[in-house]
Amino acid sequence: MKKLMLAATALAGFSAPAFAQDALTLQLKWVTQAQFAGYYVALEKGYYSDENLDVTILPGGPDVAPPQVLAGGGADVMVDWLASALAVREGGLPVVNIAQPFASSGLLLTCWKDAGFTGPQDFKGHTLGVWFGGNEYPFLSWMSRENIPVDGGADGVTILRQGFNVDPLIQRQADCISTMTYNEYGQVLDAGVTADELTNFSFEAEGVATLEDGLYVLEDRLTDEAFADKLVRFVRASMKGWKYAEENPTEAAEIVLEFDETGAQTEAHQIYMMGEIAKLTAGSNGALDPAAFDRTVEVLMAPGSDPVITKVPEDAWTHMITDRALD
Amino acid sequence: MMLTILAFVIWAAAWALNVRLARLPQRWVRLAVPLIFGATLLVVWELLVRGAGVSAVILPPPSAIASTFVRVFPTLWQDTVQTVFKGALSGYVIGCAAAFCVALLADRFDVLRRGLLPVGSFLSALPIVGTAPIFVMWFGFGWQSKAAVVVAMVFFPLLVNTVAGLRDTTVQQRDLMFTYAASYWETLFKLRLPAALPFIFNGLKVSTTLALIGAIVAEFFGSPTQGLGFRIDASRGRLALDVVWSAILMSAFAGSLFYGAVALLERALTFWHPSQRK
Repeated sequence: MKKLMLAATALAGFSAPAFAQDALTLQLKWVTQAQFAGYYVALEKGYYSDENLDVTILPGGPDVAPPQVLAGGGADVMVDWLASALAVREGGLPVVNIAQPFASSGLLLTCWKDAGFTGPQDFKGHTLGVWFGGNEYPFLSWMSRENIPVDGGADGVTILRQGFNVDPLIQRQADCISTMTYNEYGQVLDAGVTADELTNFSFEAEGVATLEDGLYVLEDRLTDEAFADKLVRFVRASMKGWKYAEENPTEAAEIVLEFDETGAQTEAHQIYMMGEIAKLTAGSNGALDPAAFDRTVEVLMAPGSDPVITKVPEDAWTHMITDRALD
Repeated sequence: MMLTILAFVIWAAAWALNVRLARLPQRWVRLAVPLIFGATLLVVWELLVRGAGVSAVILPPPSAIASTFVRVFPTLWQDTVQTVFKGALSGYVIGCAAAFCVALLADRFDVLRRGLLPVGSFLSALPIVGTAPIFVMWFGFGWQSKAAVVVAMVFFPLLVNTVAGLRDTTVQQRDLMFTYAASYWETLFKLRLPAALPFIFNGLKVSTTLALIGAIVAEFFGSPTQGLGFRIDASRGRLALDVVWSAILMSAFAGSLFYGAVALLERALTFWHPSQRK
């Protein structure tokens, strides 16, 4: 079977014109928005074709699990959070981080100020909104570090599985909800709530931040030199795109809007988002910071009844691509 | 490769066995044939997945699903209580009771029948992905909003069936009741309701599966951290496909039992109907 497929690929390779660009498919973690501006800028500005790459960007969404697309062969590279990637890796799908364009986390817990929270211990007995589907790990780790049970009751917190909107906070179904600095926090403000009425707990400041958007591939494909070479060129061009987006947020937001086929995004929101995203990518040249990786692992293995991962992951990241891409 | 070949061999052997068995007159054959078919499907699934080395995040083998099902059963049971007993069943009872009462009114007053049936069909045409988030906003994240979705889903099938059933008497039957000087209520309870029962049970049976689907899908739009829909969605995000399959299995069991219970009740109450006679 494998031989047959190899033969088919080889045949396809021969029949294509000699100057054809190398195809590469990128699966995003979420819908087309400025969170992924670097990749769209690199595509629009021709940084990928300069590297002889023909990159296809697949938007994600609530119904798309990037690791599943990767495992099914629907994409070569995915954007995912390290927490979710490590959980998937322990679950038996060997994904490896090859680059980390995001240096800091944009995850917040946004609360009504009048709920009077000064620290996580005040959450006890209250209802908090959390995203699931792989995004719940940082929150669960935080609660387990604070020894707060998450199954309701007066001594614990009641968790609402919130959808991807901010209604639960606006309607006070929850005292706090999860937000991203670059997206939902802006939506709360857009809903007419002023920043003075809110208290934000930043996962970064609480010391429970986990690395967010990174680039991942399947481990066994890294031994293929041709594929590794494509990745080197892809990461180099993507980082060029990211740095351009950081410096030209308005233009980057407009490029993202052009690629948004759903037409759901507005210009003002994308410009706001790009401004916030630039703060998170600032300080990363694309290479993963091993100290940040170790901190993420520590957070995920925090003592508690339900750690996200049970053993220290090995070989879950590599500098092999970024070393060659960034020198 | 060996496993893949074995899978096809077993498939062919079981097929041949079933073809032979199907010709036998004995009674146990009627039970054995579908059982052999089901078992073959599972074995072939297991062998193909293992033989072709399919990743567990695409399709886990049935043995892995079975062991996960046993391992996570306590959690799944809580999920079932949340989704089936609190969400689906309460919504089913409320929705069916409401539809039944409205059907009686619609049957009694022609103006209501002409006014209410279009509204009922309009309700049933509302897409669940549109109503569910709105109900979550109105009734909160708990089981109440799921029950509301279920009410909206089961109302119409039962209403239409009951209205149709109440009209299913012949002129002679009604004339007979008239000659007995039977009142409206006597005619209703002694003639028309019994005659309507097969229709009503059709509506009730269709509604069991609708109720379960409604309760599970509604959980995708906001829920507490339990429930079958929550489990499926959250586990899918973690790529714990064995848990997803276990939750699917659990919902299938719950749905079949629910349907079976209503079918048993039907057999007890409509024993006189030709379809139930042996």
